[in-house]
Amino acid sequence: MAKKAKSRTIAVRLISMAMTGYYRTMIRPRVHRPLSMMKYDPVIKKQVLFLEATKGGKNK
Amino acid sequence: MPPMKPVLPKDAKSVTDLPLRLRNFLARYPPEIHSAAVRRPDFSKLSAELSEEKASGEVPSPYTPDRDAKGSAGLEKGAWTPSKALLITTTELRNPFLPNKRYGKWEAPRYGLRQQADLMKLAIKYGAEGLLPPSQKSTEYKETRRAERGLAIKGTGVGQKVKGHKWERTMESRLEERRKAMEGMPELVRLWKQRGHGRGWKQWPKR
Repeated sequence: MAKKAKSRTIAVRLISMAMTGYYRTMIRPRVHRPLSMMKYDPVIKKQVLFLEATKGGKNK
Repeated sequence: MPPMKPVLPKDAKSVTDLPLRLRNFLARYPPEIHSAAVRRPDFSKLSAELSEEKASGEVPSPYTPDRDAKGSAGLEKGAWTPSKALLITTTELRNPFLPNKRYGKWEAPRYGLRQQADLMKLAIKYGAEGLLPPSQKSTEYKETRRAERGLAIKGTGVGQKVKGHKWERTMESRLEERRKAMEGMPELVRLWKQRGHGRGWKQWPKR
């Protein structure tokens, strides 16, 4: 039996690099490169770098 | 230290003013030999040693390095405490208020705790507490013990600490980690911008 088709998009978690434990969840196309952006971290009340983290930390 | 002579209370002119029960006790266990003041010749030395030990040994920080670390245990079960030092007596003359090991066997105290308490209350009433042998019921012992154990609130006694919530115990290390991360943030952002806003980025964090 054929495997179920994978969805075109995936939900990813962008972790605050301020090590506050704060993160945002976003949706990106599966084939897209990993997301990274400057976003507001409410714990330290500043804009900091957010980097995508996937299970196992395997990013292209 | 020379043995102190037990002093009669000021308000009682002589031993004969004391109630019969106390007098009988004092006749059987003369204060010159048995009283708390005489029986603890080395206590001042002991307490000095203990306080020195306490001063030199730092109290461990209640914070643990990370969330997975276990907090350190409190006082050991058999640990040496000032209250235990209060009950130290010489072995030649048995203290009627304490159990005694003789011929390899434990002997029960001559006076049970209730009788001790009665005698102690009588003695306190007549201001003659210093004439009785060291006892768990003495004011001194009770005060020391209360100081050790705190106000019956766990962690408030001498050498104890409040366990607290995990977020409280790990707060120090987490704040430190956050502070370090924020110090390196401008450099990290600069690198990130340099590498095409993440296009050439290699160190992605693990979830």
